[in-house]
Amino acid sequence: MHAETWHNVPPSLPLWQRAVQGAQRHLRSTAAVLVLVLVLLPFLWMLQMAFRPAGDALSLDLVFSPTLEAFAGLWQDNFARSFGNSLLVSVLSTGLSLLLGVPAAYALSRWRFKQRRQVALWVLCTRMAPPIAFTIPFFLAFRWLGLLDSVWGLVLVYLTFNLAIVIWMMQGFFEAIPTALEEAAWMDGCSIWSAFWHVTLPLTRPGLVATAVLCFIFSWSDFFFALILTRTQAVTAPVAIVNFLQYDGWEWTKIAAAGTMVMLPVLLFTVLVRKYLVHGLTAGGVKD
Amino acid sequence: MTRTTYHYEGGLLVPRRKLLVSALAAGAGSVLGFPALALDSKPLKGVTLNTSLYSSPYSKLLRPWIPEFEEATGAKVNFDTPGFPVYNQRADLELSTKGAAFDAVNVTFIYSSRWINSGWLTPLDGYINDPNKTPASFDVNDFLEGALAPERGRDGQLYGIPWQAEVTIAAASRFDVLKQSGLAFPDTTDAWLEAAKLLNRKERAAGFVTDNHYGWTFIPFLQAFGGDVFRKAPDDLFPTLDSPEAIAAADYFARLLREYGPDGVVSYTSDQAVQSLKAGRSHLSVQGQINLSQLADKSSSKVAASAAWGQVPKGVAGRFPGTAIHGWGIPVGSKNKDAAWQFIRWATSKETLQRAVAAGYGSPTRRSDIDSPTYRERQRVNGYDIASLVTASVDLSAKQGHMKYRTVAAYPQVDQQINKAIELIVTGQRTPEQAMKQAQTASIAELRRAGVSV
Repeated sequence: MHAETWHNVPPSLPLWQRAVQGAQRHLRSTAAVLVLVLVLLPFLWMLQMAFRPAGDALSLDLVFSPTLEAFAGLWQDNFARSFGNSLLVSVLSTGLSLLLGVPAAYALSRWRFKQRRQVALWVLCTRMAPPIAFTIPFFLAFRWLGLLDSVWGLVLVYLTFNLAIVIWMMQGFFEAIPTALEEAAWMDGCSIWSAFWHVTLPLTRPGLVATAVLCFIFSWSDFFFALILTRTQAVTAPVAIVNFLQYDGWEWTKIAAAGTMVMLPVLLFTVLVRKYLVHGLTAGGVKD
Repeated sequence: MTRTTYHYEGGLLVPRRKLLVSALAAGAGSVLGFPALALDSKPLKGVTLNTSLYSSPYSKLLRPWIPEFEEATGAKVNFDTPGFPVYNQRADLELSTKGAAFDAVNVTFIYSSRWINSGWLTPLDGYINDPNKTPASFDVNDFLEGALAPERGRDGQLYGIPWQAEVTIAAASRFDVLKQSGLAFPDTTDAWLEAAKLLNRKERAAGFVTDNHYGWTFIPFLQAFGGDVFRKAPDDLFPTLDSPEAIAAADYFARLLREYGPDGVVSYTSDQAVQSLKAGRSHLSVQGQINLSQLADKSSSKVAASAAWGQVPKGVAGRFPGTAIHGWGIPVGSKNKDAAWQFIRWATSKETLQRAVAAGYGSPTRRSDIDSPTYRERQRVNGYDIASLVTASVDLSAKQGHMKYRTVAAYPQVDQQINKAIELIVTGQRTPEQAMKQAQTASIAELRRAGVSV
């Protein structure tokens, strides 16, 4: 509903009706604020905890002297390295997934060949079982290949899972683009590859962004595979956070500070591509 | 700060000056009667040892000293210290696949039976009894018997050298309030109920709080009521969670939590429970001494001056403090077993552990450390001797053998059922009888699934 239709109460209405409508408006605003507070409360709580002194982490007092002690502690605990590992693994796996998955999705959407549907279904199989089903085979294979505790090992694992997302999502986006556009490009002398690169791909930009965001978030927030397949060198941020759960006590302020830092890239990335993301995720929602 | 140069001899790091004097005094012999090492000798040169221990006060103390071991032996030591849950996941997977990634690992108490009796760890008796590998000064008998017991396999051999002895003790954060009410530190289960009731909501604090790992914190109460987890562990593993005593204990314990615990008490981890006590928001607790001794920390505890400690409550059947022992072990898949043993021997030697105690380590496993004036003095807080509480509890545990339930390989699964049962009772979803019968049925199923004949 457009804002103007309910924001401006027609003055021709009787006073009691205008009062009721005004009250409804205030009620809606209050409800919206309440929902916002509820949604943001965990994040805000984490944020304020990150700036508290360690001994005061769980205090309910809202007045305190902010300190960067927890962030300094993260630096000493080499959290920056884990953060860097997360960033590297997420960017590499997302990039590689798109590089390999987009052409595959295009081929599945444009070419008719035997077992096409089955191939697509097999690709999706990696997403059908819980991660734990793949853990032991991955662990044993990586140990044999010497890929345990390596960034490339993690990239390979995430690639396996992200490829399915890329292929399935992008296939839908490609199918939504009329083939006539590509045919026109071929008529103008474009090669298949050139038509794909200059015509089809730019049109699926929102889809590409949405897919990239999902791949990035999956790689960025994975805990399970990183826990099993890393040791010291390739430890990622989610595992590093759990390392703050010490036997003799939990380092709450460091957990909060690390949590805040881990949220930032995803938040930033999502804000930057918001325009494409909404379009990409809702494309195909309505059939013309 | 000057750094002492140490030399590795007969399994010990000997200060260089001492070594020279000894060498002169004993000719070619060593101080301890073992083949002396030449001054430039590096017995483990070229060896890389991968060791892992969860992050703890001991591992934090050990880390800066490892270069001394490296310097003296020529070995390179990778010392991995992840958080407790991370360590257990990784070690369990690594050991169960008999991998060679680690040469020395922590034998985590809750997994010790599973890891030892599955043949995933190396027996250490051969090393301990070999004078060429272990000097007499290592003195394995100096370790508390109660700390060695969980490190033994069914074959009687030792699979771990203990470095941490944790016991469940009791604490009152505001003993002054209890005294004003005319009560002494509660010693029996009845007195505990009375004290929790009286203290509840006094000074805006809950009467009782504990860690929601009930498979650890509830058991002293279960056994005090005359109940137990199994009929007679480790020989007869038929669960006894639905016995009248167990139901009565669960009812009692859940009442402590439900009526006198803080809001949301079933979600309290050990750390949250300790924070609540330290902030003066809860009065009484039964937990591990590693947690409850933190009440004395003046820098972070508001109750440092008013805290009091005691043994876990005594019931009709007696007193049953829980003990949790952690030790160093060698994975069966390790390719550097001899070198790993040398590292373990150094890490648990009298010298290293004495040094740790001097630096503030609070959970020693050697009798000589526990009896040392340094440790005794530090463990005396507000007139309470926490060291005595610990040794009394470890000795009692060794004497009564009541911790045998914990040496059952499938206990972690039963532990989960106990956690669930207490939670269901506290939240009012089940009666004590219903919850404990449910836990009994589920435990039998879990044990059968694990291959236990019940």
